Amino acid sequence: MSGGQHFKVAIIGGGPAGIGVAVGLAKRGIGPVVLIERRAGVGGTPMGYRKKPGGVPTFVEWTRGRVVFGEELAGRMAKRLAKTDTTIRLSAQVTQIDPAEKRLTLLGREGVCDVTADAVVLAAGAREQTPAEKGWLAGARTARIGFTRHITGWLDGHGLLPARKPVVVGSDLIAYSVAAKLRAAGSDEPVMIDRRRSPSAGLFERLFFRRWTRPDWSGDVTAAGIKGDRSAAGVQSSDGQDWHGDGVMICGELVPNTELALLGGLAVELPSRQLQLARGQALSEPGWFAAGNVLGGFHGAQWCYFNGRQAARRVANFLK
Amino acid sequence: MTQFGTWQPKIRGKLFYNWPQGACEEALRFTSAGQLGGEPYDVVIVGAGVVGCGLAYRLSQYDLRVLLVDRLHDVGEGTSKANSALIHSGYDAKPGSLESKLLHEAEADWPGLAARLKIPLDPIGGIMMAVTDEQERQLEAAEKNAHANRAIDVRILSAAEIREREPNASPDVRGGLLVPSESLVDPFMASIAYAEIALANGVDILLGADIAGVELGQPPGAPLHHLVTADGPRLPARRIVNAAGLGSRRLADGYGGGAFDINPRRGQFLLFDKSARPLVQHILLPVPTAHTKGVLVAPTIFGNLLAGPTAEDLPLNDPAATHTTVEGIRRVLEGGSRLVDGLARQPVIATYAGARCACSQGSYVIRHNDGAPGIVTITGVRSTGLTASISLARHLIDGMQKELGLELSPDSAALDSRPDSAWPGWWRRPFENGATDARADHGCAVCFCEVISGGEIRAALDSPLKPRTMDALKRRTRVLSGRCQGFDCQVSLAEIVSGHTGIGMAQLTKNGPGSELVAPGQAEFTA
Ligand SMILES: Cc1cc2nc3c(=O)[nH]c(=O)nc-3n(C[C@H](O)[C@H](O)[C@H](O)COP(=O)(O)OP(=O)(O)OC[C@H]3O[C@@H](n4cnc5c(N)ncnc54)[C@H](O)[C@@H]3O)c2cc1C
Ligand SMILES: Cc1cc2nc3c(=O)[nH]c(=O)nc-3n(C[C@H](O)[C@H](O)[C@H](O)COP(=O)(O)OP(=O)(O)OC[C@H]3O[C@@H](n4cnc5c(N)ncnc54)[C@H](O)[C@@H]3O)c2cc1C
Repeated sequence: MSGGQHFKVAIIGGGPAGIGVAVGLAKRGIGPVVLIERRAGVGGTPMGYRKKPGGVPTFVEWTRGRVVFGEELAGRMAKRLAKTDTTIRLSAQVTQIDPAEKRLTLLGREGVCDVTADAVVLAAGAREQTPAEKGWLAGARTARIGFTRHITGWLDGHGLLPARKPVVVGSDLIAYSVAAKLRAAGSDEPVMIDRRRSPSAGLFERLFFRRWTRPDWSGDVTAAGIKGDRSAAGVQSSDGQDWHGDGVMICGELVPNTELALLGGLAVELPSRQLQLARGQALSEPGWFAAGNVLGGFHGAQWCYFNGRQAARRVANFLK
Repeated sequence: MTQFGTWQPKIRGKLFYNWPQGACEEALRFTSAGQLGGEPYDVVIVGAGVVGCGLAYRLSQYDLRVLLVDRLHDVGEGTSKANSALIHSGYDAKPGSLESKLLHEAEADWPGLAARLKIPLDPIGGIMMAVTDEQERQLEAAEKNAHANRAIDVRILSAAEIREREPNASPDVRGGLLVPSESLVDPFMASIAYAEIALANGVDILLGADIAGVELGQPPGAPLHHLVTADGPRLPARRIVNAAGLGSRRLADGYGGGAFDINPRRGQFLLFDKSARPLVQHILLPVPTAHTKGVLVAPTIFGNLLAGPTAEDLPLNDPAATHTTVEGIRRVLEGGSRLVDGLARQPVIATYAGARCACSQGSYVIRHNDGAPGIVTITGVRSTGLTASISLARHLIDGMQKELGLELSPDSAALDSRPDSAWPGWWRRPFENGATDARADHGCAVCFCEVISGGEIRAALDSPLKPRTMDALKRRTRVLSGRCQGFDCQVSLAEIVSGHTGIGMAQLTKNGPGSELVAPGQAEFTA
């Protein structure tokens, strides 16, 4: 274990929020700052949604009435980050935190090392809920239960369809973009179910995706479990109905990545895994802050970037 | 300093997968019985659960031609992969029964055995907790029964003593029974380590091959039988051990085995995230009722917490035997909450169910020369087979010597352990404990939840049993078993497997053909 390097501020996560923090701190002349990202590049979740000519935008953000692909959006943010003096540690995962000491343990190519800081910002993002977290308790543990990230990975990366007769669970923007992407790649018109009565995506968003998909929609359906023994054959609902397919796509409804906080002893609400905020974006231990989707809920990438900028302001006040 | 790398012993046994073309490397693919060499086997074990693997491990110490065959796509993929993962002391067995004897012997075996297999074992001990007056009254009898099972260290605890040891024990706790020698174990690696050593010692292993029937040989002498796989190839055997668990009835019908009735007794579990682990310090057991042992709450050796199991009898061959149900999981949470305060608010990672092989004729039913000379049936290994796997193997070999005329001469070259460098293993990680000689790719996490690196995954792929499915990798490295359940890593993991083995992305499976990760029947096109 190498001796810990000390920074003024350490940022965990290089998505839109983490980048926003770094840019905000640079504007205020605060440094040295380290940004730690476990993937090979910065940009976070949107970076995985690549721009392809004529492709279906899986990740959509409307900027001045124009659709921006995730990769474009995150790319612009990464450019702003590159203009700062931030130390960037890629392919390095924070595996443990010591809140009182403001110490982070990192695992990277060179092995394990520690980093300390005067203030730390948690910008670790969010992931989609698993079947167990959704309360789907019935059935077997099968293949082909997919998340949005898998769709882009399999389709964009390898030209492989995760399902031919997909059952999409959820009805927000993400769910519609997934349905569009699958349909455009040759799947049947997806079955789409949600416990909500009407789709949670807005009319404008649904109209946008009509070019590719008109999902076979059913509202008021509470999923209770997966059908099938070895591969997913659909979803069973709590009232005993079956929704058949050859793969289930779980879309939307995010869970914040708060495990570092939870296992490190910062205040986290259970079982929701929501961070308990002292005030603003400040966490239960002084000098700890959070920004972006790790705060819970679903926020677009732009919002997260500006939320990161705001966190930088709060960090600056704390350091004064 | 620890040398990191895969255990690559000199492997004397042959390993094949009965898989369609493309599902694994051609060199691993089983296409004809000729690949196994024409000579009859001295013993063929049908069923590579923990019982079959333990037996193969013990038989591999002798000069014998042995084959271990299973219809699933890894060893230990049946009942042996979905249980409470405990080494039982047998304190609650029926005194004088074979089960009691085997558990008592196994208890003495396990510390040394785990050290030889290089698998983690944690003797944290158990506490049986009485939460009603009536249950409290049963403690004395339970203590007496434990002592009759030679578990002499078992003793009664007062409510205050329990609270001191278990601050989160239910406020209803009246008293309990301390069972010091209950332990946590890695249930997956038990079967795997047994089989790896057996393979190294020359046992042949054939996976993915369903034994559909038996052609009986004709006496006199030791007749030559043939096991017939569902796809046709015939496997010659002088002796057959039916260790097929829930498949034992169907297999026994193929050789005219004696009467026994089995059915799956389903046990459902809830698995909690690591934040729940500090809630308990021991394995917390309920006071059993006449019908069931009840729902326990126990840490896992991986640092999670589990609650379960239920006990629900289902008909034989019901596919729902390993499904969970809303009602079952509700009962698990209720049962667990009777023992531990605050369980219900802990985040759940997953639910799962296992199927005990319940036999109306009792547990550990063993028949020699069953249906025909040279055939052994072992069935009804219901609730304690993981623990007893080692003592049962010895007991079975004794029986085969006495009843089947099996002659044993020790193989002086045989290994009885995996070496210190046996790796990968989630419990001995690169970059841990000053192990700085790890490669750079050991620091690059692919699975972020359990922090498993690409290097570890590649090393697991190279390990002796050549695991080729996602579930097989999961049991060896813990990829995909964390809180995100593959959200972050599924595709990058598949890329590593495909890149390292040459298996096409579209052919990769969760647990063998029929469980492809993408819609089946596609060819990958590279953009
Ligand atoms: C499946 C999905 C689809 C979405 N689709 C849309 C969409 O169509 N339109 C839209 O506007 N928004 C969408 N969003 C939301 C969008 O992703 C977020 O608004 C934005 O990316 C959040 O920024 P963030 O920085 O908070 O988190 P992220 O972008 O997730 O970045 C967090 C970063 O932290 C890193 N990290 C986490 N833990 C650690 C650690 N321990 N050590 C080191 N690094 C760590 C992660 O690798 C990641 O790069 C989607 C989100 C998801 C999950
Ligand atoms: C809910 C639950 C909790 C438990 N808790 C514990 C515990 O804490 N501690 C403990 O010691 N024990 C426990 N057990 C018991 C233990 O899991 C079993 O006793 C043990 O796994 C049985 O192993 P086995 O090898 O007999 O069966 P299995 O693992 O089922 O192996 C049988 C194998 O035979 C194969 N097979 C079947 N038919 C054929 C065929 N025709 N051709 C080829 N192959 C075939 C199957 O594919 C299977 O792999 C528990 C069990 C359950 C269900």
